[in-house]
Order: sequence, then structure tokens, then C-alpha cells
Amino acid sequence: GRQAGVSAEMFAMPRGLKGSNMDGIPEVLDGNLEEPRFQESELRSQDVMGLTEGDNEASASAPPAAKRLKTDTKGKKERKPTVDAEEAQRMSTLLSAMSEEQLARYEVCRGSAFPKARVAHLMRSISGSSVSENTAIAMAGIAKVLVGEVVEEALDVCEMWGETPPLQPKHLREAVRRLKRKGLFPNSNDGKTMFF
Amino acid sequence: MADEEEDPAFEEENEEIGGGAEGGQGKRKRLFSKELRCMMYGFGDDQNPYTESVDILEDLVIEFITEMTHKAMSIGRQGRVQVEDIVFLIRKDPRKFARVKDLLTMNEELKRARKAFDEANYGS
Repeated sequence: GRQAGVSAEMFAMPRGLKGSNMDGIPEVLDGNLEEPRFQESELRSQDVMGLTEGDNEASASAPPAAKRLKTDTKGKKERKPTVDAEEAQRMSTLLSAMSEEQLARYEVCRGSAFPKARVAHLMRSISGSSVSENTAIAMAGIAKVLVGEVVEEALDVCEMWGETPPLQPKHLREAVRRLKRKGLFPNSNDGKTMFF
Repeated sequence: MADEEEDPAFEEENEEIGGGAEGGQGKRKRLFSKELRCMMYGFGDDQNPYTESVDILEDLVIEFITEMTHKAMSIGRQGRVQVEDIVFLIRKDPRKFARVKDLLTMNEELKRARKAFDEANYGS
């Protein structure tokens, strides 16, 4: 099974490298919303490694991330440079442990994104008014997370049914069904009440 | 949300989102096909995902964005979609929430860095 609890922050590299050091700040977020190489929902690439190569020793650092999920948004302000350096170290360890195929997949995972312009255009046609750049950025980012969640769940379903990728529509539909149960789609009127 | 899961057919979806029912997908052109293919591979699918699967995900994403947009318009400042509304709507979902916070923070830092860079150049 997959590490459902792995934090999205898990391998987040130097988060902004606050202070005078500008080297870490990624040159992204225009054009294509491509993520920087060192800040992303790494949990998905981790799961990918689990899928393609069986158990990967490098994922041994996964457990602490589960509790990191809770504290991370709070602890961000108190994060010292050493913690970032640690994470950078772990990240490079992880990367060096990856196979060619994993690296290729990881690179695509990080680099793929919904184009900001197209998302903004879609939102504009839905809302009837223009949306700010930040709004489009946020929505595109969330949409990508959504795709990741669905694909992950679908891969689980696929495996559970004893089948192999490529994913078929039935896997995706079942995945969506399950995720809706878990409340992963923002729909307060989905009627998934607890007590019958 | 349209109940697309009940449809047993492999190919046809009969989605109503785009209006019209040609081919079941509606008249809407595929907006994110290329990007979605990359994403699916990145997230663990085959290097060549099935087109039907890509279509399902596209419909899902568009439905998601549509719902979020509509909800955002109904809260906060009515009729407008603002970042704060999105952040609010997503607050219960840890992954998405963290991701939005990250993206917005990164964007701010980038803007600041670029501004500082430009000012430095202007001065010299």
C-alpha cells in the first residue's frame, strides 16, 4: 500500500531560503506554473518509486513525515537553516538512490503543470469576471494535486484488482468514488453522512 | 456533480458539463490533454496513458475548477473569485491547502526577488 500520511512538505527543499541568500529561489511561476526542481508534493514521486521498483530503501525517511504534516504549517516560521539543509541533504540522498526510470518520472512529475493562462481563461468564462494571477496560480496548483490524488488512488485500485497500468477508466471511476467518500472533493452537499 | 461513475460503458461518458452530447463528452474541445498525459505519467501511470482515462481526468479537473469557482463566487465578495475564497474552501484538505500556501508564498518571494534584482540593476 501507499503512504497516505506522507506529508506534502516532506522533502520541501530550502523553503525560500529567507535572508540574503537568493540562490534557492526558483525562477518559476510565470508561463507554465512549472514547479521548481526542489519544492513539490514529493509524496507522489515516493509512491511512484514504490510502484516501479518495489520497496525502496531510500523511503525509510517516510515515517517522520506523517507527523510532520500536522506541525509543518505552524513550524514553518521557526524553521532554522539547519533543518532546510537537512532536508536538502535528504533530498539529494533520495535523488541519488533513484533509478533512471524513477528520475525520468520524477522530472516529469515536477515539471508538469496546468498552464496558468488556460486555467485563468476557464475561470473567467465560468465566473464572468476576470481572475487575478494568484487565483489562477492557486487553482492550477490545486488541480494538479487533485490529479495526483486520483491517479494514486486509481493505481491502488488497479493493484488491488490484480491488474496493471495503463490505468483504465474503471480504475479512475472507482478511485473517484473512494475519494469522494473521504471528502477529497469540496462538496458539502454530497450526503456522505456518518450515521446512515 | 454529474454522476458519471454509474455509466458502465468503457467509452461513452454522457457528461453534460460542456452541453451537447456528441460522443458523450460534449462539444468542448480537450483543454488539457497534453499536460494531463505528462502528469499521469509523473504520478505513476504508464508512459502512454489511455485516451479515455485522460479524458475522464480532464472532465474531472474541469468539473472541480467549475465547482470551486462557483463556490468561491458565492462566498466572500459575491460574484468575484478571490484567492482567499479558494484557500477557505480548501481548508479541510491538508494536501491541497498546504500546496496553495506554498505556491502563494513562493510567488511572493519570487516577486520580491525580482523586484530587488530590478532595483539593483536600475541603481547601477
